[in-house]
Amino acid sequence: MKVLIIEDELSLQKSIQQYLNAEGNTCDCAPTYESAYQKISMNTYDCVLLDLTLPDGDGLELLRHLKKLNKTDGVMIITARDAVDQRIEGLSLGADDYLIKPFHLSELNARILAIVRRSNFAGNNLIVFNEIEIDLQTKEVKVNDKVVYFTRKEFDLLLYFIANKKKVISKAAAASHIWGDDADMADSFDFIYTHIKNIKKKLLDAGCKEYFHSVYGVGYKFAEL
Amino acid sequence: MKLFTRYNRILLITNFIGLIIIGFLFYQTLTYYLNKQMDDGLTEELMEVNDFTNVKNILPAPTSFDDLVAEYKKIKVANGRSFFADTVYYNPKKRIMETARYLQADISFNHQAYRVLIMSSKVERQEEIRTICLIIILPVSLLLVILLGINRVMINRLWSPFRQLLINIKAFNVNREEPFDEVISPTIEFRELNDAIANLSSKVRSDYKEIKLFTENASHEMMTPLAVINSKLDTMLQSNHLGATESETLGDLYKATSKLTKLNQSLLLLVKIDNNSQLDIEEINVKDMVEEKLAFFQELIYKRKLIIDLDLNPFYLSTSRQLLDILVNNLFSNAIRHNKEGGLIKISLAKNTLAFSNTSDYLKLDEDVIFERFHKDASSEGTGLGLAILKQICNREHFQLQYHYRYHLHTFEVEFNPNT
Repeated sequence: MKVLIIEDELSLQKSIQQYLNAEGNTCDCAPTYESAYQKISMNTYDCVLLDLTLPDGDGLELLRHLKKLNKTDGVMIITARDAVDQRIEGLSLGADDYLIKPFHLSELNARILAIVRRSNFAGNNLIVFNEIEIDLQTKEVKVNDKVVYFTRKEFDLLLYFIANKKKVISKAAAASHIWGDDADMADSFDFIYTHIKNIKKKLLDAGCKEYFHSVYGVGYKFAEL
Repeated sequence: MKLFTRYNRILLITNFIGLIIIGFLFYQTLTYYLNKQMDDGLTEELMEVNDFTNVKNILPAPTSFDDLVAEYKKIKVANGRSFFADTVYYNPKKRIMETARYLQADISFNHQAYRVLIMSSKVERQEEIRTICLIIILPVSLLLVILLGINRVMINRLWSPFRQLLINIKAFNVNREEPFDEVISPTIEFRELNDAIANLSSKVRSDYKEIKLFTENASHEMMTPLAVINSKLDTMLQSNHLGATESETLGDLYKATSKLTKLNQSLLLLVKIDNNSQLDIEEINVKDMVEEKLAFFQELIYKRKLIIDLDLNPFYLSTSRQLLDILVNNLFSNAIRHNKEGGLIKISLAKNTLAFSNTSDYLKLDEDVIFERFHKDASSEGTGLGLAILKQICNREHFQLQYHYRYHLHTFEVEFNPNT
């Protein structure tokens, strides 16, 4: 997967690049409007991460340019500005999704995957990880062809972990994925533990292998050891 | 006391006292001159008596007309003294007692001393005084009343720009964009006042705008560094060499970062609610929204073993979904956060009032400060902005927000606009 990261904050750009590279993606970086303009004109990407406030231009202009070229690159806006109208403008200009800073890399990764999946495999809504099969359309999870029932939050969490497989996901990231802005509620971190325990149990009962691993109480990793 | 009332009171008191003093002096002077006139008459009568005795060598017969009485009395020695005085006498004709003025003098002829008493009724004179007084006092009083009336009208008219200014100042809203309503007045003082207020309001408005902009910008600027911290933490977490201590540190850093993020978002939210930017209005089923939120928070409720007592009637409200969502969210998290283990949350939606009641280890809270920004008790894990945001939303949407403590229940009550 080829991703273009348009972000002027270099350390953030580097972190994103590291994280995505480790997933086996190729990342191009553009810290300025000029360099981004050239890159999107010359190449085609699976997904473009677009920061709206660039030192030498408006990110929305880049989006307009991209759409004028009739490219099918998925576009994800990342911005510190969350003025409602700006969001809507970005989406109406053809961005696929937006993420407001600060965000967790695992969240970013999961969203990129969702964008790419939507544009690349139109109609194919199946995610398969070993014996686990997830149908995004019907929100159904099958383990060894047997349906396992999950609550909505459990389903979201499972999907989130599979999207970030082999990565450690902090409890904070998981909590904000489920509860959004309310993730700071006194003990919301503890619920992640409860949820994961439930998911684990349901998967094991269905004859699934053990994939969830706790990492020193900070987070969890979904991986085959 | 109103300025006008005060002014009138002073005016009336001064006028009243002045009128009494002038009336008194006037009456005194008039009486003095009338007495003098009467005394002259009496002296004349005495002189006539003297002439009569000198010519005829006898005393004239005692007279007793309606208003003139002359009496003579033999005395041993005439001391030659004469004086005027007031008295009361019986008017035989009118058969009433009347006030009178008399002159008493001693005369002597044929070696005999007589005391002469000439008395004249004062009734007519007094009538005269009364009439004169009335003729003068009545028009003066009438003039006073007319003056007061004119004063009233004039003051009302003169001060009307002031009252308009006051109305405008009261209606002044620092958030509203329209400029301050100017009041046109020919009076220089009011014009100056108007200009001063207009200047002040525009200054207040621009300062306020600047502060909001500053808060917004500061919060936004902090988001990028926060994103960097977050991403670096995420990167560190992927390291395979994490020990228990490092992990714990990382966990704490995550918590602090998410708290800082939340704080920043809350500040931004406050500014945003304050900005009168138009939001999409739609018809929302409040009951559905509360039930949705209940599902959203169910783990938290379950974990603290809270009992939920729901009494929801369908209610539709036209408002911004975003704001109502935050409102219900804050009411819920507040009721959960400050509850005690195994406590109760009572949610009722009746007519146009949504009330959240919860048990707590705390007693009655201080209504005056709970809605203030960053007010929170030491044990609270929150940002201290939740209730401030709640208040801000209610202010913006003209909802009534109330807090009360009854039967060990803390209740936050939101009364939605009655006419929506």
